[in-house]
Amino acid sequence: MTPIQLVFLFVAFATLWAAFMVVTRNNLVHAALFLVIALFGVAVLFVMLEAGFLAVIQVLVYIGAIAILMIFAVMLTRGDVDDIPDITNRYAGWVGLVAVLFFSSLVILMAQWPSFTALAKPILSSRDTIVELGTALVSPNGYVIPFEVASVMLLAALIGALVVARPRKGK
Amino acid sequence: MVPVSYYLALAAILFALGALGVLIRRNAIIIFMSIELMLNAANLLFVAFARSFESLDGQIYVFFVIAVAAAEVAVGLALIVTIFRTKHSIDIDELSSMKG
Amino acid sequence: MFGSITTDMVLAILPEIALLVLIAVVFVTDLVVDEKRRGILAWTSIIGLLITMLLTAFFAQPGAEAETLWGGMLRHDWLAYVSKLIFLFGALITTVFTLNWDSVRFKGEFYVLLLTSTLGMTLMGASADLIMLFLSIETTSIPLYVLAGFLTDDDRSTEAGFKYLLFGAMTTAVMLYGFSLLYGFAGSTGLYEISAAIGAGQIPAAALAGAAVLVLVGFGFKVAMAPLHFWAPDVYEGAPTPITAFLSTASKAAGFVVLTRVMIAAFSSVQAEWQLMLAIAAVISMTLGNLVALSQTNIKRLLAYSSIAHAGYALLGVIAASELGAASVVYYFLVYVVTNMAAFGVVIVVSRVIGSDEIADYAGLSRRSPGLALVMLLAFLSLAGIPPLGGFIAKVLVFAAAVQAEFVWLAVIGVLNAIIGLYYYLIVLKVVYLTPGKDEQKALPTPRPQAVALVVSIVLLLLMGTVFAPWYQWALNSASALF
Repeated sequence: MTPIQLVFLFVAFATLWAAFMVVTRNNLVHAALFLVIALFGVAVLFVMLEAGFLAVIQVLVYIGAIAILMIFAVMLTRGDVDDIPDITNRYAGWVGLVAVLFFSSLVILMAQWPSFTALAKPILSSRDTIVELGTALVSPNGYVIPFEVASVMLLAALIGALVVARPRKGK
Repeated sequence: MVPVSYYLALAAILFALGALGVLIRRNAIIIFMSIELMLNAANLLFVAFARSFESLDGQIYVFFVIAVAAAEVAVGLALIVTIFRTKHSIDIDELSSMKG
Repeated sequence: MFGSITTDMVLAILPEIALLVLIAVVFVTDLVVDEKRRGILAWTSIIGLLITMLLTAFFAQPGAEAETLWGGMLRHDWLAYVSKLIFLFGALITTVFTLNWDSVRFKGEFYVLLLTSTLGMTLMGASADLIMLFLSIETTSIPLYVLAGFLTDDDRSTEAGFKYLLFGAMTTAVMLYGFSLLYGFAGSTGLYEISAAIGAGQIPAAALAGAAVLVLVGFGFKVAMAPLHFWAPDVYEGAPTPITAFLSTASKAAGFVVLTRVMIAAFSSVQAEWQLMLAIAAVISMTLGNLVALSQTNIKRLLAYSSIAHAGYALLGVIAASELGAASVVYYFLVYVVTNMAAFGVVIVVSRVIGSDEIADYAGLSRRSPGLALVMLLAFLSLAGIPPLGGFIAKVLVFAAAVQAEFVWLAVIGVLNAIIGLYYYLIVLKVVYLTPGKDEQKALPTPRPQAVALVVSIVLLLLMGTVFAPWYQWALNSASALF
């Protein structure tokens, strides 16, 4: 076992533990904080996969914006922060079982795939991936259309969120 | 080096945990957090595959997924806050003013 | 390094460019025009959509050979062309139906969101890459979540928006996971490259079928097929009615275009498996949709269940996985969009006046407004599949496709279901024509723009049922682009 594998195992377990806590905690603020840990764990895994740029985005957008937004929402909807006696819904039992079964079978299925156990090649470090990413995003033979569409979608989401959250007249 | 399969297994478990949260919890915000976990599992897969193929497509995909997630969360939380203003609850089992 | 942009590339995205310009125009008009004169916003959208349709029809027509443009992101073929026209038509009629409706017609945001969603749909119709596909599905959905919950004064609308968003976000996450597996199996995000890579590689069929299930969850949600239909009745009932019309027509059609393209292009090596999955979904959709529709008292819920059943019929065309099958799906949606728009148009006009969506309140409609009742009659008979209306030919085509692909049992179940369907459509028509109503003397006026939209829809409906050839040629051209 190499040091890098040890690091991977540590980060993987931390991420999964935090994710488990998100799903099972009763207190919403705690759940949000565990979500931050899980997202940070994924960011570390991105670094290990030599996707430094995405790791930065993950921290900035996911942790810096999305998780914080969640915490804001928790505070705005205070009242049932932690006093729901029964946190699971009525279908919990069998639905949970189906989810677990389905995904364990998915892992088993994927294990039959020849490339499943291949070792990642030690590469990329010589390439300047950020320049490549940047070029691909604005090149007409690359991803310029999705890039522009994403901006339209973000604008629509911005307008949409404003429309919905705006206080009603007379209240 | 860490084999790709480790990442695949990790992503599958993370996804299953997220799906579990979505399916068994009643609180709308927790459900949203669980959906974020599912999206992160998919992102992890994309980056792991991108690494093993030595291509950037997977990384670009993740870039867009993060943008979409931000948009979805903004709209979703706005709707949650609006629901809360009238019902004083964000319990999805209580969302049932329509029947039939 | 960057490559250059050719005229072909620009022409392929002409509808999108026009829509984007229109979005900007509506947005700015909303800012500069003072509140009392905002009525021009809807008219701006209508004129803009008409221009977009004309531009699309005359300049964005693809050649005989399908092209993949913009770095493999978009496909410029007949399927994309025809579906773009369908979506633009849906958006146009939806906008007309908002004209006399004061809670939205002064709000620029409503039209900006509606147009953005349409933009997403046109891109869905042309997507040839998983990245583009995911983004365009989200660009369609996110504005629709807001539009479904647009009436923040109405609890049912907010709830509809929220339910739609919640189910949408869940199924999108599952679909994305399926996409990531596909990318992993094929090493590429291009739909057409994926199919080549899968054909050449040694990916176990079971794993691929697993990925297909995940992807189908996302598509199934968009087309509201069973068992992913839960959201539909509540969302259709709670959402503003023009948005319900848009959801049940354009949005569903967009889902079907994507479903047909992806299943046939990327999953051809596990065809038997996904055919079986979709066959089960089709049987449940048809049967459940029709049976539950029998007991509905709210017209919007009735149309919601009917639209689930129609998703089931159209699935037969997808399952056939042949040229006839794909052509029948395109024909089905040409007809279905027009028919359902007419049906919802009547619901919108009536509920503006009587303030109710209960079927019982439609009693005596034929005396209060013979025109509206006639539109309803024709639309419902077309939905039921009665000749000489478009719905008849559409149904015949999908059943024929199923039989040709040796799914005779599916076609039999489809025909049985069409008979059940006929029953509940006739019940509504009986209320409209025979049951005496409370205030039969009061006339029920139809505003002129809506009347024009209804007449256009009905004329198209009759044309699609009688002058069969040109429409079928469109459908055939679209289908041949897939194979």
